Amino acid sequence: MPKPSLHQPLHTRETAVKRTLQTLLFAWLCVCSLNVPADPVVLRMATTTSTENSGLLKVILPEFEARSGLEVQVLAVGTGQALRLGCNGDVDVVLVHAPAAEQKFVADGCGVNRRPVMYNDFVIIGPPADPAGVAQRGNAADALARIETSRSIFVSRGDDSGTNKKELALWRKAGITPSGSWYREAGQGMGKVLQITGELDGYTLTDRGTWLAYHAKSPLKILFEKDPALYNPYAVIAVNPERYPDANYTGAMAFSDWITSREGQRMIADYRIDGEVLFTPLAIPNPGAP
Amino acid sequence: MNNDARLCISRLEKYYNERHVLSIGRLALVPGRIVHLTGRNGAGKTTLLKILAGLESPDHCDVLLDRCSRPWRAVRQQLRRNVVYLHQHPYMFDNTVADNLGYGLRVTGVPRARRRQAVAMMLERMELEHAAQRNARTLSGGEQQRLALGRAWLLQPRVLLLDEPTANMDTGFRQQTWTLLQEMLSDALAIMVSSHELSESECPDCLNLHLQDGRLNAAPPSLHLVGQERSRPQEVLGVKP
Amino acid sequence: MDALLQPTQEAFHLLLTGDTDLWTIIGISFRVSLKAILFATPFALLLAFLLAYVSFPGRRLLLSVFETLMALPAVVVGLLIYLLLSRNGPLGDLRLLFTQTAMVIGQIVLCFPLLVAMGYAAIRSADRRAWETALTLGAGRPRAMLTLIHEVRLGLLVAVIAGFGRIISEIGTSMMVGGNIAGHTRNIPTAIALETSKGHFAEGIALGIVLVTLAFGLNLILNLLQHREAQAA
Repeated sequence: MPKPSLHQPLHTRETAVKRTLQTLLFAWLCVCSLNVPADPVVLRMATTTSTENSGLLKVILPEFEARSGLEVQVLAVGTGQALRLGCNGDVDVVLVHAPAAEQKFVADGCGVNRRPVMYNDFVIIGPPADPAGVAQRGNAADALARIETSRSIFVSRGDDSGTNKKELALWRKAGITPSGSWYREAGQGMGKVLQITGELDGYTLTDRGTWLAYHAKSPLKILFEKDPALYNPYAVIAVNPERYPDANYTGAMAFSDWITSREGQRMIADYRIDGEVLFTPLAIPNPGAP
Repeated sequence: MNNDARLCISRLEKYYNERHVLSIGRLALVPGRIVHLTGRNGAGKTTLLKILAGLESPDHCDVLLDRCSRPWRAVRQQLRRNVVYLHQHPYMFDNTVADNLGYGLRVTGVPRARRRQAVAMMLERMELEHAAQRNARTLSGGEQQRLALGRAWLLQPRVLLLDEPTANMDTGFRQQTWTLLQEMLSDALAIMVSSHELSESECPDCLNLHLQDGRLNAAPPSLHLVGQERSRPQEVLGVKP
Repeated sequence: MDALLQPTQEAFHLLLTGDTDLWTIIGISFRVSLKAILFATPFALLLAFLLAYVSFPGRRLLLSVFETLMALPAVVVGLLIYLLLSRNGPLGDLRLLFTQTAMVIGQIVLCFPLLVAMGYAAIRSADRRAWETALTLGAGRPRAMLTLIHEVRLGLLVAVIAGFGRIISEIGTSMMVGGNIAGHTRNIPTAIALETSKGHFAEGIALGIVLVTLAFGLNLILNLLQHREAQAA
């Protein structure tokens, strides 16, 4: 028969359990803890997917980071969302291209110190055969009107982006409310929309930058360009420090100063895709040699 | 016989959905005696056993343990520690035979060395050494019962409750059961076994109780002799009582 | 066929030559999702256990709530957490938005209902006798719970793997609360979305290969374990 001494007094058992639980808890906390090293000062910037896709930021931001010692974190979203993030104080600075929305952004007190930075333009692309006869039109609004009359497929961004707002403004100018099965609202970024338009053999409005990055992969061609109405100006706006005192306002202004400085403007002017100029500086029209 | 070690319950009432399942005035489980509880299916035998083991709660019950009469709720923990309940088909943990045997010792904090010793001894005693490292679920029914009894025995409980251990089992199994129970019986252990067939009684020294309509009665002695005269299992197996 | 073959070849090349950008993205994915599942699992299992073994008022309702939450799309979860963590929102002062922590939080919210619902099913499938046997052999209730968890460990592992699978390949939450910031909150699914939208299919396929390999590996482990269980029985 087993001896009675096998049973341990109660308190020893409980301390053993307690110790095991403590060890487990400690180990688990170690695993879960985030080992975050000390961060350099961060500047959060919201910009549009088309700006990001153009590749400009990849070239100019490292230069700015080296000079300022800041780390720039870029969130590339639609214009509407970029401005929303600014109004919510989730970013420190916005770089967008939608003048009307930008005015409202500042008027609402979300942003301050709006400064024009650069412009590029929009182009209308479509199938090389150009069934709607867009190429011969005199202005952009007319070109779109032709697309509607011919019921050719037109793919819209449909996402409240700068490009989308420009497109809708042109339809308004032509006195047309686009609807019907020929008008496809994709609700996606520019790159995606270009792919979709290529697949559907349709027309769309795109910024030149994204087009230059894409055109090699696309069966479509530029059919209409250079109308002043297709002018696409970019501005940088700092998030209002009075509303969000702990936003990185100094960093935002440092970026704003730099991108409108001679050096920043020159880098913008020098940026090329496949040898083609993409952006024209606005703050300092002829930044010239350093 | 150690009177202080007995487990007594009194005024046990249990309702289940307005049905008065149990109404027991007094029940004493005395060390060194086996109580044989009979009753037809659904009479409430399992409920009674589980209440005694601290696994199911009664609507009212006073428990006399260590000379102190207290309500069931207050002594529930103590019941669980001192009473072991065995299901009709005891549950095998998904582990080796050795681990199953040592489960109770492990959870009550017995140090590993002593635990190993005790398990080794019980493996030998229950003739399960050959299967020590096998998964307990691969054992035969008879082996599983030996394991379950060994597992309980290692805890040195005051009361052992077996719920219909030999129902639908062959003679060899039944003999094994009763032999082991007789071995385990001591002046520190009380045993209660339930079944629904009195004729299966292999234990002439047992106290026979019958559960009917929620009440306990002593089973009439004449029912013992249903079926042939059987020689005592101890004599058959040549084991001393 | 070439359109498929060529990016795939490039993809393998990127993976095998240890392209840093790619492996940073993979690292972020695993770090975030492993943290989320490690944090969520103990609490979810505890809750699943309570739901299975303790009767309290509103138990059934709570269970239905979790089973419904399982169907919540990742982007909706992402939106809700964004609203909570935004500077403008109630938890804005924590400054958690667009960090990996925010992604971890989002993924915890995503996998928690699944872990609870599947954990509950696994624990319910346990033999009731297991619990009673553990108790009667002297285990306290917490210890008996651990024993029960051990008994149904395979079913629980299935739940954890399912939960992990859900969060490592989700994009809606990561995108909304992480912001897809290069080097910080860009994980495999958000990177795939970005690269494919830019037409960089090779990168997209490379990352897709990683996910498929992971899914395959997990399933293999699961099958081996199930096979071993079946053999032992």
